[in-house]
Amino acid sequence: MRIPRLPLRRAIHDLAGAYALDALDGAELARFERHLATCRTCPDEVRGFTATAAALGLAAAATPPPSLKGRVLADVAVLAGARAVDAEIAALLTEPDARVASAATAAGGSATVVASSRAAAVVFTSVGLPELPPASVYELWFIGTGGARPAGLVPAASGAGAATPPLRAPGLEPGDAVGVTVEPAGGSAAPTTTPIVVLALR
Amino acid sequence: MEPIRPDPGAAEPDDADLNVLLTRVGRGDQAAFEAVYDRVAPPVYGLIRRVLRDAAQSEEVSQETLLEVWRTAARFDPARGSAVTWVMTIAHRRAVDRVRSETAAAQRENRVAAEAVPAAPDEVAETVEASLEAERVRRCLDGLTDLQRESITLAYYSGYSYPQVASALGVALGTIKTRIRDGLKRLRDCLGVAW
Repeated sequence: MRIPRLPLRRAIHDLAGAYALDALDGAELARFERHLATCRTCPDEVRGFTATAAALGLAAAATPPPSLKGRVLADVAVLAGARAVDAEIAALLTEPDARVASAATAAGGSATVVASSRAAAVVFTSVGLPELPPASVYELWFIGTGGARPAGLVPAASGAGAATPPLRAPGLEPGDAVGVTVEPAGGSAAPTTTPIVVLALR
Repeated sequence: MEPIRPDPGAAEPDDADLNVLLTRVGRGDQAAFEAVYDRVAPPVYGLIRRVLRDAAQSEEVSQETLLEVWRTAARFDPARGSAVTWVMTIAHRRAVDRVRSETAAAQRENRVAAEAVPAAPDEVAETVEASLEAERVRRCLDGLTDLQRESITLAYYSGYSYPQVASALGVALGTIKTRIRDGLKRLRDCLGVAW
């Protein structure tokens, strides 16, 4: 007698809905993705469900804060410029595992980091950070379980409200967050002030 | 009321344009990106805000989503789905990632398990904009059974994992799985989703 396989298959097919709604985690997500790679009918079903979910998303449309557009376009301009000018930065931005994290800073403006574990490095840029007196700089840090490690000095923006040129910082370790502090000119070996922003890299 | 920009719900008819624009973004075209921004920022922000509630976090995650669109547009393949679906998938994934990491952080802080489950959702109709698309979606959601509708809205609009949905509704895991799938099939057919 053959062992009936139908109930198990049916059970895994049923996950297609939860998968399309991002409602699967961990081992079950991995199990469904393995199944998806070999299943003949699932990709079409998942595609239809994903488009259905997107329709639910469109129905929630709301007007974003007007300031969002300026920040996004400024970041894009920096990343686009960087892509054209600096091969090392361009390589990091196109790493398949590169992740973007962005947050408002306590000092004003916003900070953005693109991080790649494969490249073990980040690219940092910011828009609208307050200008500092000549005796001070913004310093970037990798923040891990062992504390903060210097990741470089943030280049000055060309004017008030402008974007800072991209800074590529090598030395990223697994689990690191990225933070920025204000330090005396030349930078410090360890942070001497409270970070104005800490970006978790998920 | 004077509309500042076109009704976000009305973005649908020019899906094909958006596909073309996104393909241009993939080649590094910043002007095309700005056009894509104008089209997708309202649904991206609205969905993320719906899932996260918090305005400041919603702005951050929207910014991350839109930068990811810029960065990965070259991977968009029109043969596998529309541009708007591709963008909304990134937005939802990122909003849910944020909800899950917040939940994990709350658990680390030893809060009681009940508190770690995200806040209860409001009714869809309360926050959905009065657009044609929203009205269509609301009508189709009304056509589902209560359990199908509640399962789908908790998972999609509140970012619950399906075990969280099961425990919030007091229903067996297996039941939730099938209700989500059956509900999505009905919703797909009702909306006439092309994929």
